[in-house]
Order: sequence, then structure tokens, then C-alpha cells
Amino acid sequence: MRLGEGAKLQASINITPLVDVVLVLLIIFMVMAPQMRKGPDVNLPNTTKPNSQGDERGRILVSIDEAGGLWINDQLVAAEHFGEALQAAVGAEPDPRVVIRGDAKLKFFQVREAMLAIEQAGFRGVGLISRRAGAEGK
Amino acid sequence: MQFNSNDSGSSLQSEINITPLVDVVLVLLIIFMVVVPLLLEGYDVDIPRASADTSEQLAESQLILSIGSAACPILGPPAGEGIPKDCQVTLADQKIPAAELPARVAEILGGRPAGQRALFLAVDDRLNYEGVVRIIDLAKSGVEDLKIEFIATN
Repeated sequence: MRLGEGAKLQASINITPLVDVVLVLLIIFMVMAPQMRKGPDVNLPNTTKPNSQGDERGRILVSIDEAGGLWINDQLVAAEHFGEALQAAVGAEPDPRVVIRGDAKLKFFQVREAMLAIEQAGFRGVGLISRRAGAEGK
Repeated sequence: MQFNSNDSGSSLQSEINITPLVDVVLVLLIIFMVVVPLLLEGYDVDIPRASADTSEQLAESQLILSIGSAACPILGPPAGEGIPKDCQVTLADQKIPAAELPARVAEILGGRPAGQRALFLAVDDRLNYEGVVRIIDLAKSGVEDLKIEFIATN
């Protein structure tokens, strides 16, 4: 009797360690998620109906911070080297698309200058990234 | 012994069934793993080349929206949602309050075929970027597939 009962109790898999591991992974992802974004922290403009601009992967992110500094993906670049840096960022990408993450406090000409530089580097259009009003995140 | 066997039967029942919990947590984990490369949202805009001949072909029918810093004084980030009520913009040489933009753009461009709806923006350099993006948002809410192009102001 006892032996039989003991075997029965052992038969169910002990999933407590599995739950522990999964919970820890979940917490790691929750903490890492905001930091995995490319580029500097930018306070994006709030709008009501932005269109989808696709995934961050496969896009070249040009960020303009509050002070007007230009970033390509994760790197701060000087304005005079912007064109070359942009070409370097394109690399072997088959269908590169450039998006601008501009800070809400910027003056329009700072964004226009970046657009002109992007256009001179050979891109036809850009996407202006905004944040859907009411949504969280950066 | 008999009591013991009864006890072991009830002790099997007393365990919390954590399988649904594991299911939910695993699904949450997958959601977070997928959402990490967060999606981008925004507006497609074009900058016509200085020597572009395509824009000249369209010159007759092109719809120009001018936003000046005198009529629409958004010099700092606008508070709350939308744009200030005192903001006036010039659409096809007519001064209108910015709030009327969706209706007027729809009226003028709504009849054109989807590929030919273009709005040319002449924006004062001193305006706040967020204000400009919000005006683009307003203009785009009137018609679908609206192409936005920037033209030089000076």
C-alpha cells in the first residue's frame, strides 16, 4: 500500500522549478523591454492617428534629441558627417527605409534640415515617428 | 492504515492546480518576447528634390497648405491633445481655422483618385515640431492615402 501510494505521488512532474524559471525570464524581459529600443530617449510628439511604420528592424532610425543632436541608430553623429554615416548605416540592406524620431520640443527647421540631409543621401521619403496619444512608452 | 490511505487521497486534492497559471505566464512571456522590437508609428512624408520635375507637372492642381508662425503661433510644444484653437492655416490661399482642415482637405481632394491625393506643406521654420506633426495628423484624418510633401518656404 505505502509503496504504491509513494509511487503515485512521484508520478506527477514537479513543475515548481519550471514556474520559477519562467517567472524570472518574464521579469527579465519586462525590465529589458524598454532598454532594447535603438537610439536615445526621445520625447516623441503625441498625435491621434499615426499610421503603422512597421518594425524597428529593417528601418534606419534617425533620432534628433532635445538639444538638436543627430543620432543614427545608436550613434551620435556630427552634422557634417551625417551623409556618410547614413550611407554606412544602409550597408547591404536591400530596401532601406529611414524614419525620423524627432523630439517634441524641436523647432521645425531642425527636423527639416535632417530631412534635407536624408534626401541628399538618396532617400525619397522619410517617416516621421510619433506616439499615439494615450499610449505609454517612449 | 485505512485513515492513512484516506489522508493521502485528500492530500492529492489539496494541491493547487497550477497548470492554468503556468499557461498564462508562458503566454505573457511569449507576448513580451514578441513585443520587444516595438512597432513604430508615424507619418510618411516626401521631400521633393530641388530640381524635381514631377512637382512641376502637378503644379496646376497642387494643393498647398501654408502654416505661418503669425497665424498659427505654436512655438512651444502644444499642451494636451490637438492644436490650439487660435491656429489658422492657409489652404489653397484661403485662411481657415486648423480645426476645419480635415473637412476642407476631404472636400478638395476626396474626389481625386487615390494615387493623386497630395498635399504640399509650406511650414514656417520657427514652428514647433510637435505642432507641425499634429497638423499633418489633422490633414491626414480627412482622406485616406494622402501623400504629404514638404516644400521650401523661402
